[in-house]
Amino acid sequence: MSFRRFLLKRTLIAALLTLIAVSVIFATLRMLPADPFSGLVASGSLTPDEVDQIRAMYGLDEPIYVQYVKYIQNLFTFQFGISLTQQRPVGEIIIPALVNTMVLLLPALVATAIVSSLAGMYAGWNRGSWFEQSSIVVTTVFRATPIFVTGILFLIIFSYGLGWLPAFGMRSPLANPDGYLETYLSVDFLKHYLLPFAATVLFYSGDFLMLARNSVVERMGSEFLMLHRAKGLSEMEQLGRAGRNSLLPLVTYFALRTGMLFQGVITLEVVFAWPGIGRALVQAILNQDYPTVQAAVFIMALAVIIMNLTADVAYAKLDPTVEAGDV
Amino acid sequence: MSLLEVDDVKITYRMPGDDVHAVNNVSFSIDEGDNYGLVGESGCGKSTIAKSVLGLLDDNGDVRSGSIRFDGRELRDLSERDWMSVRWEDIAYIPQSAMDSLDPVMSVGAQIRQAIRKHRDVSKAKADERVAEVFEMVGLDPTRTGDYPHQFSGGMRQRVTIAMALALDPDLIIADEPTTGLDVIVQDKILNKLMELQEELGSSLLLITHDVGVVAETCDEVSVLYGGKVMEQGDTDRVFRNPTNPYTMGLKNAFPEVDEFDEQAISIPGSLPDLTEEPTSCVFENRCPFATEECGASHPDLVAANEQLSACHHVDEADEMRDQAKDPETWGIDVRNEVERTGGVGDVILETDGLEKWFKQPQGILDDFRGKEPDYVKAVNSVDLTVHEGEIVGVAGESGCGKSTLAEVIAALQDRTGGEITIDATPIDDLLAENTKEFRSQVQFIFQDPFDSLNPRQRVRAAVSEPLKIQGHDPETIDRRVRQTVEDVGLKPADKYLDQLPAQLSGGERQRVAIAQALVLEPTLLICDEPASMLDVSLKANILNILREMADDRDIGIVYISHDLASLTQIADRLAVMYLGRIAEMGATEDVVRTPKHPYTASLLAASPRTDPDADRKRVLLPGEPPNPVNLPTGCNFAPRCPKAGEQCYRGDPERSECTEGDHEAACYFPVEDVETELLERYIEAREDDVEEVLEGGMTP
Amino acid sequence: MSSGYFLDPETVIERLRSQGGRAWRTLRFVLRDNSAKLGFVIIVTFGFMGIFGPMLAPYHPIEDTLQQGGSMMRLQPPGGKAVLGTTSFGKDILSQFLAGARPTLIVGLFGGVGTGVVGFLVGLTSGYFGGRVDEFLMRLTDLTFALPFLPMALVILSFVTPSIWIITAVLVTFLWKMPARVIRSEVMTVKERTFVKSARARGAGHLRTMFLHVAPNVLGIGFLYTAYAVGWSIVAGASLAFLGFGDPTTTSWGRMLEQVFRSGAIRVAWWWVLPPAIGIGAVTTGVFLVGRAFEEIVNPDLQTEQE
Repeated sequence: MSFRRFLLKRTLIAALLTLIAVSVIFATLRMLPADPFSGLVASGSLTPDEVDQIRAMYGLDEPIYVQYVKYIQNLFTFQFGISLTQQRPVGEIIIPALVNTMVLLLPALVATAIVSSLAGMYAGWNRGSWFEQSSIVVTTVFRATPIFVTGILFLIIFSYGLGWLPAFGMRSPLANPDGYLETYLSVDFLKHYLLPFAATVLFYSGDFLMLARNSVVERMGSEFLMLHRAKGLSEMEQLGRAGRNSLLPLVTYFALRTGMLFQGVITLEVVFAWPGIGRALVQAILNQDYPTVQAAVFIMALAVIIMNLTADVAYAKLDPTVEAGDV
Repeated sequence: MSLLEVDDVKITYRMPGDDVHAVNNVSFSIDEGDNYGLVGESGCGKSTIAKSVLGLLDDNGDVRSGSIRFDGRELRDLSERDWMSVRWEDIAYIPQSAMDSLDPVMSVGAQIRQAIRKHRDVSKAKADERVAEVFEMVGLDPTRTGDYPHQFSGGMRQRVTIAMALALDPDLIIADEPTTGLDVIVQDKILNKLMELQEELGSSLLLITHDVGVVAETCDEVSVLYGGKVMEQGDTDRVFRNPTNPYTMGLKNAFPEVDEFDEQAISIPGSLPDLTEEPTSCVFENRCPFATEECGASHPDLVAANEQLSACHHVDEADEMRDQAKDPETWGIDVRNEVERTGGVGDVILETDGLEKWFKQPQGILDDFRGKEPDYVKAVNSVDLTVHEGEIVGVAGESGCGKSTLAEVIAALQDRTGGEITIDATPIDDLLAENTKEFRSQVQFIFQDPFDSLNPRQRVRAAVSEPLKIQGHDPETIDRRVRQTVEDVGLKPADKYLDQLPAQLSGGERQRVAIAQALVLEPTLLICDEPASMLDVSLKANILNILREMADDRDIGIVYISHDLASLTQIADRLAVMYLGRIAEMGATEDVVRTPKHPYTASLLAASPRTDPDADRKRVLLPGEPPNPVNLPTGCNFAPRCPKAGEQCYRGDPERSECTEGDHEAACYFPVEDVETELLERYIEAREDDVEEVLEGGMTP
Repeated sequence: MSSGYFLDPETVIERLRSQGGRAWRTLRFVLRDNSAKLGFVIIVTFGFMGIFGPMLAPYHPIEDTLQQGGSMMRLQPPGGKAVLGTTSFGKDILSQFLAGARPTLIVGLFGGVGTGVVGFLVGLTSGYFGGRVDEFLMRLTDLTFALPFLPMALVILSFVTPSIWIITAVLVTFLWKMPARVIRSEVMTVKERTFVKSARARGAGHLRTMFLHVAPNVLGIGFLYTAYAVGWSIVAGASLAFLGFGDPTTTSWGRMLEQVFRSGAIRVAWWWVLPPAIGIGAVTTGVFLVGRAFEEIVNPDLQTEQE
């Protein structure tokens, strides 16, 4: 199978998958028994007539299939509509939240992928060493403990206990930055950044470390490393080759993890009150704000599907022995 | 002074529980420019010695005592840093399996270049020049240095490792089973290349192999190893012409020559000695037919016998032992009466008519849509084969020729895509119409790999009784037949084996269990796909004997598939030779072997190495490798490689009826009359302008 | 039923018995690892608490409000009547901690086992049959990968009243894909091994081949991922509870953390935070430590064999 054909097939599957995913999301949301307005009627703030008007405004009075078609159309043109509870375009709510999440998680993911993978390769090469044993146990602890628990423990130690770092949000309440650059480039931001960043790095470190360590261990007895050694390569050069041969699963895993970036640490955002997409989503669900929920979930699904596709392509490209069709 | 002197070396592996004494007091030396062979079966310590010379022992392996001197320098004292300069610069290494030994994610050129630049301070361009040079030396296309290992076929990969070994002109090359796993014709070409280059460059060679034929043809001197001990040592010709040690005798006789029909191969009974303790008796004592009390008391020293050295307490009786060792009965094997081997005695049990198995190649959806005919790999292409009751029909061929596919199609493990199969006069479709019970009770299969053909979680009893359970027999019958069959295949007493797991059995025992699984249903047709190829030579004959007995006593028809011509000629009544999905030649084994008609058969037969040091054999330098099975050219498949091919061969595909002599048929327009002049010499001439590797596209599956 | 699909009970019983022995040997082997030993002790302690915790609790975790001198004991540090202190509603933290182990255990155990079983069967079927079955099942796993687990679970739990069993079901719905993928690729390797072909040649049908020849050889990986799934389920269950989507009628460790966090008492009441936080962290770590040691045994690639 040619690479182009492989890419085409994969992309088609990804597109189809996205369609099914958003349909499932649509169906699930429509199963919600009530919408926020019924509550308002009950409390007497709106008359039933007014509610009908508002429902018409949001297109909620149309037959379900019309709603469905419109919903699909809008999603794929990235028109997410108006928030039910905040009366402003969903895009305005979601995009800054996405950026905030990305600013927190992407550097954390990249940092841990590089550091933990290298540490893992070293650990695998020195199998049975003190370094291997302790690095595995330490990262397993952080990998296993739910990230919000780590976050809470960090909070009560470093914020409430020692008072070193702020506990809440991304900037101090007094700061009033304008635009992304001003928000992110400040010492105040850095102070807020440190704890959630550290928690994320530690949380992800375990998987990369074990994956790198296992791949190197798998290759340690291999014939080709023996030949490298017979050629006179030094220990570190041999480890380099073992590492290169272990790269594939790591890159694939990195791509998959990146895809799950937005849904990765919702609870952590809640703990640190980080104004990211996860926190926005939890609030929207609590407020039954469908358009926001739809948009956020759609973006999360899309990110996974796109990064899965990237992982497949990276796999086919990185390993000369893999024919595109084998993936 | 010798180049390499190994003196009284002991090597042990630390294992949980016990140490394994892998090598015990081994000494030998290699002179400059010499070829030295270490020969022995698996577990004899030969690879361990090779690794110790390169300082590549696994972490749990130690050289306990003795010395290894290279060019007068003690290698045991080297630090890892010193080792790095000795490796490859002075001693290079050709690994056992080129398949796994090349770094899969690095181009082959870069791997060789890495070796050069590690030791020489040269520019990348300069190193690349050398890479191209060694590529050409080993007969590889120098434009392919940028390719990755998986883009080469097995034989070509082995050439890459040879090229790598030559890159720095080392004084000593250690080759660890360099041709194991390769087809005979490829093996012949590789060995020829290796010898040629070594002659040219004057480096010494330490060749490690289990194949007596390979050593006999390539090495000046040899050590025969068993259980970590040198059993016999000396000039190769002398050692194999007149062995003075019972083990050498057994090993040599276990390798039948292709054209020896009258001599039955022997197998050495018993199994390897326990090496967790240093040997206190002769290591071969428990398997040696000549052992006496003295042999149980101590392992004998190497003493002069004729002009070689032999470790045997009875070395002065060598001549008598040698005579007796030729008789299989000495080794506890029942001699079967040759008269019984007539073949074609009973009714026809299997008949295939134009059998086809074509694998469709994937193609674009658009092409499907346009109705374009897809490409096929014709793994089995109109094969007609007949097997009678009590007859063993051998199918020979190189890897990729379709012989295993043929076996699996006949056994209904794969669907056929065309033609007919008839079992005992019933079409296979009728047998399989309801369910597989009926068919499976008639046709059974024995697989190649005894180490993988038994479920690791199933005990022998469960494994052998499963086919009967599926057939729905009652527990009593099952128990009786399981015991009977297990003993029939030589696992006596059955009680000793029934509750064992596969991991507790040796390779030979496992293969017997697999055979018992097949025989317990009392099938009428048995299909064997290389049943002995993964076993040590000294065990092969056993398996062959069991099969022969089944054919003779139970009138089972047997299809025996193998790449190993010597074992085929030992066992088969009739022989079919396959090339690229077709049967090229078929006839009574003796006719095919003595007077091969198809040029391919003749080449294949001529490529088997001879254990007899006096045999003077021309190497088979058949150009190229079997072509890519997709898109075969019209005409005879073999024509592009055939020195006798005429225009006719490119136009029409000859039928097997083209050349007949009684039952002996060959699909060839211009059958061979004289192998030497018509083929072997022509191959050598053709090599002058050898462009073979350029023609070859990709690897063969 | 045609013969190929026939599994005789005798064989099955014999298999199960030998599997039991195997499990015991494996456990002894796993526990040679020190960190696994620690993990095992944690799991056993946790299991004990899950079963007997509510009985050991000195007070009822929700109904009893501790009084001292006529007033509610709000946010009392450890000591006196409340060994581990009290919540801002005057509840005994030790009792909540002891009682909270059970829902965590149930969600972990059933979510994990359910995930393991469903994933194992899907992976086995998918890998064994290949072709269209495989294509369909694998696209299904892709789909569950694409749908974000926590948000979807939150949405679902916002229109049904969360109970332990619904939460468990939701977890299984979203987690089965992980073992399914791993088992599938493992099955695809085992399927190519000679003994599987051999079983077919001896006349075994698909069911028999699948369950008696393929399955036992991937069972180790299956158990490994079941163990991991127990860990994931505990994490997921606790996360849901922490976000306020736990079973409102029971006390779980996740819910304790939610309450301390939401009430703002987290700033001062470390004694309220630490027991559930350490409890969750210890249990999941214990599960993963044992799982990891087990992985060293079942993953054939991690075994470096000597000549």
